[in-house]
Amino acid sequence: MSSAQSTQTDSAAGGRGLWTSRTGDSGLSWRAFRRSWQAYALLSPIFILLSIFVYYPPVLGLIRAFFRWRPGVPATFVGLDNFITYFTYAETPHELVNIVKLLIFGLFAGIVMPFIMAELIFFVRSAALKELYRLLVIIPMLVPGIVTVLLWQKLYDPYLGPINDMLRAMGLEYLALNWLGEHRVAIYAIMFVGFPWVWGVGTLIYLGGLGQISESVYEAAALDGCTGMGRVLRIDIPLVLGQVRLLAILAIINAITAFQNILVLTDGGPGFSTMVPGLTMFHSAFRAQKFGYSSAIGLLLFIIAMSGTLIINRGIRPANEELRQ
Amino acid sequence: MTTELQRSPNRRPLQMSQLGLHILIAFLLLLSLVPTVIMINLSFKNGLQYRWDRWNVSLPLRGSNYLSAWDVIDAYMFNTVLVAVVGLLGVLILSLIGGYVFARMRFPLREPLYYAIIALLMVPWVLSFIPAYMLYNNLGLLNTRWALIIPNIAGGPIFGIFLMRAFITGIPEELYESARCDGAGAWSLIWSITFPLSLPGLATLSVLNFVAEWNSFLWPLVTISDMSKQVISVGLFRLSRTTNDSVDFGSGGPLFAGYVLASIPLVILFVVLGKFYVEGLVESGIKM
Repeated sequence: MSSAQSTQTDSAAGGRGLWTSRTGDSGLSWRAFRRSWQAYALLSPIFILLSIFVYYPPVLGLIRAFFRWRPGVPATFVGLDNFITYFTYAETPHELVNIVKLLIFGLFAGIVMPFIMAELIFFVRSAALKELYRLLVIIPMLVPGIVTVLLWQKLYDPYLGPINDMLRAMGLEYLALNWLGEHRVAIYAIMFVGFPWVWGVGTLIYLGGLGQISESVYEAAALDGCTGMGRVLRIDIPLVLGQVRLLAILAIINAITAFQNILVLTDGGPGFSTMVPGLTMFHSAFRAQKFGYSSAIGLLLFIIAMSGTLIINRGIRPANEELRQ
Repeated sequence: MTTELQRSPNRRPLQMSQLGLHILIAFLLLLSLVPTVIMINLSFKNGLQYRWDRWNVSLPLRGSNYLSAWDVIDAYMFNTVLVAVVGLLGVLILSLIGGYVFARMRFPLREPLYYAIIALLMVPWVLSFIPAYMLYNNLGLLNTRWALIIPNIAGGPIFGIFLMRAFITGIPEELYESARCDGAGAWSLIWSITFPLSLPGLATLSVLNFVAEWNSFLWPLVTISDMSKQVISVGLFRLSRTTNDSVDFGSGGPLFAGYVLASIPLVILFVVLGKFYVEGLVESGIKM
């Protein structure tokens, strides 16, 4: 990850001198280390906490994915058994199809909708209103995430929910479904939560990118008759690809690993129709006490999410940095 | 793929006047607020109004719902504030120190150490969720407030150092040089120069961190079994499960009042620090 400010870091802090200090100590000499004891002392609490609570758990998970592991019982090595169990489990293909659906939708909702909102705000001429919209766009974030999900559960309520009340009032009785209780619609109802998906953080990140496009680029484009939609397609989008890449990675990781909304709304049901691997991981650990199996699913999800991240990193190449301020 | 999707919804408003633009923005903002408006409306209803007149504003407004809700959720609110504030203090201190060290000090292995921290931003939490639970179990920390505070203090500085390093790098070097000439040590450079000048960065970090803590759900759900130590998200989740409003008429209004109350700390936070949050996100130009 980088930011406009961190690119200045290197010049301010003496270039990319990875190993050498400015005083001219050559490389990793003992004297250089000793002279820098203060820096290491200041960093030591951070690294002590990181090693125990941040570095160690994923390493442990990586290892214990190949073990039978329960609280209070010594772990036993079982090789690839956990992975074989998961891949031969009858519901697994279904779960994978579900995360593909969630992924496609997540990319749309996480990348496209905030971009549209950001462009709309960016095109506003009045500076005061622009500032106001920037603030208003974060209002949905003032409601805790769990409350939003619980509210949507109420909206979907087949008997007491406003969605079905509205459909009945419009004479569309037959469309008033049990949204979260029907096999075929439940997964789409879960996706629809948060409509119209104008995510404040994403919008602000895009606005940051758009704001950094140099005025001279826009002037030159306007002289060539490149305005409005043409400008969005030929200038704005290529120049916010760095932001697109960040949001795409966040969307992929989220679609593959997140299951909180599903846990709250349907708990994988009805039947197994909204099950995802993350939820199976959760259930096998905290309901079936199969922590090794659960770690194996966690490892699989990690591999899938990392591959997605790498593909996006290779696939989306941000445009020339010189066009920025 | 994305350009195709972006094309159609965007073409029309751009050809319209500024007025059309404002209408479209307002429309999208209003749509996003529908659930919030419904929540506030329902929070003022008594049992009968909730049963028979759910979607209109119905008078009299029943403010006492908020008192009934507060009686149930006050402990959850207090727990969450306690855990979030203690954690946040730790995160701010460690991020300030870490950001200063990586931005301003020169020492061997500086860049590798920095990237060893930043790389953690890319490790999705799924890989650590299960083993972290077992770690806290083995350390005897389950069902204690430490199980909620430690993950934040240990993990929060990862993004915090990234943010604060970028911020502290922007402070003019001359300020540090003159202080060094006066014989200031690392502590006083951090405390009397870096800290006051990086307050906007710390404000941005505080908002991000507090919002994340206030929203945390899955981790407290599995690590805290004693409801007297539980946080607000899990508390509300449990309440929504125990009050079945098709049976119990009176429960609807207070439950929604509880939802509104749970949002108030975030509202206060954004009223006080929201400006820094917006500017921090927009002006840092975050990208990959």
